[in-house]
Amino acid sequence: MRNAGTTILDWGKVRFFLGEVARSFTRNKGMQATAIGTVAVTVAMLGTFLFVREILTAAGGELLNQIEISVYLQNGVSIAQVDDLRTTIAHDERVAAVDFIPKKQGLQELRSRLKGQVDASILTENPLPDKLRVRARDPQDVAAIAAWIQTLPRIATVDYGQRIVQRLLQLGAVLHRVGLAVIAVFLFVAGVIIANTIRLTVFARRREIAIMQLVGATNLYIRAPFICEGLLDGLLGASIAVLVLVAAHVALWPRLLEALPFPQLASAGVDAPLLIVQLFIAGGAIGVIASWISVGRYLRT
Amino acid sequence: MISLRGVSLTYANGVRALDSVSLEIGKGDFVFLVGHSGTGKSSLLRMLYREIAPTQGEVIVDGIRVDTLRQSRIPALRRHLGIVFQDFKLLSEKTIWENVAFAMQVTGAHTKEIIRQVPRALDLVGLAHKSRMYPGELSGGEQQRAAIARALVNNPKILLCDEPTGNLDPQNTTEIMDLLGRINLKGTTIVVATHNQAVVDRMRRRVVRMEDGRIITDEERGYYYLGLGQGQILSG
Repeated sequence: MRNAGTTILDWGKVRFFLGEVARSFTRNKGMQATAIGTVAVTVAMLGTFLFVREILTAAGGELLNQIEISVYLQNGVSIAQVDDLRTTIAHDERVAAVDFIPKKQGLQELRSRLKGQVDASILTENPLPDKLRVRARDPQDVAAIAAWIQTLPRIATVDYGQRIVQRLLQLGAVLHRVGLAVIAVFLFVAGVIIANTIRLTVFARRREIAIMQLVGATNLYIRAPFICEGLLDGLLGASIAVLVLVAAHVALWPRLLEALPFPQLASAGVDAPLLIVQLFIAGGAIGVIASWISVGRYLRT
Repeated sequence: MISLRGVSLTYANGVRALDSVSLEIGKGDFVFLVGHSGTGKSSLLRMLYREIAPTQGEVIVDGIRVDTLRQSRIPALRRHLGIVFQDFKLLSEKTIWENVAFAMQVTGAHTKEIIRQVPRALDLVGLAHKSRMYPGELSGGEQQRAAIARALVNNPKILLCDEPTGNLDPQNTTEIMDLLGRINLKGTTIVVATHNQAVVDRMRRRVVRMEDGRIITDEERGYYYLGLGQGQILSG
């Protein structure tokens, strides 16, 4: 039986397959350009979005890192007791640093902060308690550390800007969710357009597909050239998008940093190679999925 | 080789195309399916290569239970069959050689094997000298011969022909039928659906006559019209 050699890949087969892909790809140049353009726009938007999200996340993290826990001590705590507390808190794994700020220093800090706004000389005695300033290693732990310190003896109140921390964490979560939704919509739109392009080329070749089915071609075999076509559309679109994004980043980003009033942004780095790989994967995936679906409609008998 | 048992087919629109049809076709048989248009000849053929599935009954082709065949197993079934149509179904932008090779390429055949088999098939149908031409440059008869070469290139045990001479003049019709006769001599089982009286009467093969989705007669060496053969024998 000649079936004996069917699984062996030979040059003739490869050439035949590549020929089919090339023929299909060049048959409808206008539509192909539309598909590639759409993918390029979508992937560029996706890339911009991912970049901004990354920057904001990093900047937000930076802000969170600056958050400190103020631990106000009860009145009349001795130096030895303060040292005890410092050691206990500093021993916790989650804690990065503990500083003691005596009420005198606290008043000085307050005075310098209020300079020009309020006349601090009206204060006849120091109203501030002694304070420990605690920094967490991970901003996520701030709330837990604060709660734990509250249970220690000789603590009056613990304050860590609960509001701000919660807001920032919430904002991060919302941004994440909105981001996923926006990305999903972008990908869906690009997918629909590629699917339509592929459907046109499939339609142009429907006779051929019918004949392939009649002579016993498997669905996978019939699909393969169209899948490659979709993949090619997706990858070409992604390359254009990546080129545009890289150019835009080089030309615009430094100027934008100067113009924006957020110094935290400058230090927030983005893993560019990873982002580029992600965009190529996204482009290729839309192409493959879209073409898989549109050929599938013609294969159902 | 082919076996239909109590096969019925009702289309989604309620039209009953086949009504409890039973038919046995042995290895190496040459069978004509005759009857008016719309009597179920094409439906019966399409069921054999599982373009459609029966609503009732069993269809067995070359040992394969076709009526319950899974979608993914259909390609394997069709590789055992050669199928020829009235409209040839050649790809106009491929040469004759490529059209024939195509049938092997889609089955994943080895290139060496393709290079060996395609000329043989073209030789058999007498088109070796026109292998580089495109279907549009060939006459109807030549196109049908190319289609037959494509149907044969995978060495099927069964050749199914749906009105193979419907678009051909008498001269080409005769040539195509002679070609099918020669292919049958090599042991290939052949089923031809036709309403061409001349073809059936000249070949004198088994004739299965259909009417309204039923088989009404099945003669070993029949004529197109029932009773005509006896009449000729009587008068001759």
